[in-house]
Amino acid sequence: MNKYDAIVIGAGNGGLTASTALAQKGLNVLLLERHNIPGGCATSFCRGRFEFEIALHQLSGLGTPEMPGPLRMDLDSLGVIQDLEFVEISDLYSVQNPDGFHIALKPDKEQILDELNNAFPHEKEAIDAFFDLVYKYANDMIGAFIFRDPEASREKYPNLYTYAFKPAQSVIDDFFTDPLLKAVLSVYWGYLGVSTDQMAFAYLAMILFQYIEFKPFHVKGGSQALSNTILNKFLSHGGTVRFNCGASRILTEGDTVQGVVTHQGDVVESDYIVSNVSPIVTYGQLIGEEQIPEKTITEVKSRQLSTSAFTMFVGFDCEPDDIGIHESTNFLMVNTDMTIRNHDRMRRLEIDDELMVLSCYDVSDPEFSPEGTCQANIVTLKYGEPWLRLPPQQYLDVKYRCAEKMLQRVQAIYPDIRTHIEEIEVGTPLTHMRYLGHPLGAIYGFEQQTKDSLFFQPGRYTPIKGLYFAGCWTGDGGFEPTLRSGMSAARSIAKQIENKSA
Amino acid sequence: MKKGIWEDFDGYDGIKEKIKASRIAAGKHSFELEFADQYIKRLHPDRLTLKVADIIQETPTTKTFRLVSAANDLPPFQAGQYLSLFIEVEGIRTSRPYSISSQPNQIGYYDITVKQVANGLVSNFLLNHVSIGDSLTVSGPQGNFYFNPLVHDENMICIAGGSGITPFMSMIREIVDRGLSRTLTLFYGNRYANDIIFHEQLTHISDHFDRIHYIPVIEKASEDYQGQCGLITVDLIKKVAGASEKSATFFLCGPQGMYDFCLPQIEQLGVPPRKIRKELYGPPLDICKDPGWPKEIEQNRLFSVSVKDGQTISAPATTPLLVSLEKGGVVPPSICRSGECSMCRIKILSGKVFQPAGTPVRKSDHQYGYVHSCVSYPLEDLEILL
Repeated sequence: MNKYDAIVIGAGNGGLTASTALAQKGLNVLLLERHNIPGGCATSFCRGRFEFEIALHQLSGLGTPEMPGPLRMDLDSLGVIQDLEFVEISDLYSVQNPDGFHIALKPDKEQILDELNNAFPHEKEAIDAFFDLVYKYANDMIGAFIFRDPEASREKYPNLYTYAFKPAQSVIDDFFTDPLLKAVLSVYWGYLGVSTDQMAFAYLAMILFQYIEFKPFHVKGGSQALSNTILNKFLSHGGTVRFNCGASRILTEGDTVQGVVTHQGDVVESDYIVSNVSPIVTYGQLIGEEQIPEKTITEVKSRQLSTSAFTMFVGFDCEPDDIGIHESTNFLMVNTDMTIRNHDRMRRLEIDDELMVLSCYDVSDPEFSPEGTCQANIVTLKYGEPWLRLPPQQYLDVKYRCAEKMLQRVQAIYPDIRTHIEEIEVGTPLTHMRYLGHPLGAIYGFEQQTKDSLFFQPGRYTPIKGLYFAGCWTGDGGFEPTLRSGMSAARSIAKQIENKSA
Repeated sequence: MKKGIWEDFDGYDGIKEKIKASRIAAGKHSFELEFADQYIKRLHPDRLTLKVADIIQETPTTKTFRLVSAANDLPPFQAGQYLSLFIEVEGIRTSRPYSISSQPNQIGYYDITVKQVANGLVSNFLLNHVSIGDSLTVSGPQGNFYFNPLVHDENMICIAGGSGITPFMSMIREIVDRGLSRTLTLFYGNRYANDIIFHEQLTHISDHFDRIHYIPVIEKASEDYQGQCGLITVDLIKKVAGASEKSATFFLCGPQGMYDFCLPQIEQLGVPPRKIRKELYGPPLDICKDPGWPKEIEQNRLFSVSVKDGQTISAPATTPLLVSLEKGGVVPPSICRSGECSMCRIKILSGKVFQPAGTPVRKSDHQYGYVHSCVSYPLEDLEILL
């Protein structure tokens, strides 16, 4: 058969949920994936006796069955929640520096206040007031947007109107004087990929609020389990998946999609296509820029590409405690500056005083790695562009030099790690370009500067009838947004089909 | 269009201006994809078509094929890595991994050194039918068997068996060419003295370079043989390497029998697993000898394997499923053919297969019935999803 109700290009988070939601509605769906495994970023690889998690650090928006977050509701509606086992991560994060500073925060507001007030007694009032604002802001946001208040106003939601677009750094500066405390409260900028002066306060407030209220989670079996489980549901609804086969063209007639040409050269027809591929590749390569209205092309080109990442996957022949790792999520910091100067650091090839995160899943899930071992995923953000300027013959040298520097940084906090490393693998921005196919290895899609974030994101709609986007390029990056983006694309298509038949 | 409430938020006007300015300034940057694609392909090509520039007869049963590129530089690699050769022999499209034996500090060519294997479909084809000027299609460099400067000791103790010498040849040549500070002690086991590949070169190098030590070990030596005889034992390693094995990383490459014998010997030295690196060496020679193999399955038993939405083939119990699929004209992608790289991952929809214990399959793949077909053996009729 060469005609489907819908074709989904790419089995990343957004492609997986889109295809499964459509198949669940009874549509005949073809899912194309150029790799031999589903997941995109949500995957793993084996080395020796370890299976390394690629991308999932702290799953947000899940909540508990009693107090479900938006992601749990979506996964529940897909029918996969009962096939997955989630592990609540016991800490929010630690922040450590080589001078011996170490603070560990729990995902609980009262405990966070106690911990911060202990460490920074001179800022006690400001700390209380800041978290008060975070919560008030979040409540305004929920009232106005989650419950879609038709009569939203500045009087009703003063914090939303005042603070949403304010740079996070300026709010932090208004509240605090201690640079270390400011840094401790801002480290989550790394999850968004833009420094605190480029990022709207809306993000800092919501990310803190969400992780505290819905708790950070991990998945048993890692993010690959999430991908495999959703794909399994897709297959059980009669969906067709073709691995090792991407799309090389999207066929259009006028301003309407007609189908795709696959990597294997065959034509598959469909009235609906979900592209889990960047708009840059979708418009520029799969369709052809000349087929797209100039306004759309200009809009795409006016957005910056997000940062990529330099990642180290390390398997240790001992338990986390043996090497001093006591928290799951650890921000390793040298410099308390969280502003735009970080983007200069991200643009250089060398690693020196970058902010890093070290995630050790075994702290919360001792079964994650084989008995008596543990693994760490260590990341610092790096733009892809400088890596493309390297002569290929120098690539390995630079990769090892950066990795060595990263190890030294980790060693400054956890001195015994080097003698326990059993497996180690390094991923650079070039690795992300190669496996994700994202232009410049941009792990978060478009950069979330305020002008391109929140209400100013591209979204799922396109000027081509029948074509929708899913994945990080529609809006925010990360697991929760991308998984949910596929649900939205599927809803739009279902609605469109319903309108047509009505 | 209805006005969004955010248009009344503090700071909106400034953002609006920025958006307007960015639309005017919209660059071409984000559409400049071709360059990045080309660059990635220079490092990690899916396929390379290389020309055989030279063929060197190493021993009566072994040849080195020198492969050059007509177009670009060859991608850089790390000594110890391999190429997968994609080839059609007797109507069967298949692949074989071959370690690169030339050194990574020069990439004017890649050498692969191929030894004759009894009934070896591809090795016999290469040795008997490939000549200078022919084209061969290979993958980019692959694999995880190399010296990692982040964690490995500069003192390397290497144990090779038969054609397992090839990655070490690359490592030794690199150390010599680049004057690296690593010390490499090579124990090279062969059944007979005339099986040794690269003997003269290795002897010459170890005579001239203090950091390279070469100890050929002959299992079935003639009575007048002067060198080391027997197997590579813990005593031999201790005698040659002295106290240095305490601060060494071990690298092994050879057939399963060598691992079965040598690994326990090395463990006796008290070497922790993190200091032992073992290269892949294909599927087990005889799967029936695997301790987990179900004895009740008759060796020549044939099963039918039907590919969902595809053809049905017949597959012997003791042949890797990947090989049977290829013989039947079904060609899943494959690279390492030793169970590790997961390229040949398929889903078993119904029926049972045997995979040796320790095959590195992802936990959730295991849960949902995915197997690595290069080391999976049918135990029942199967339905599979490619």
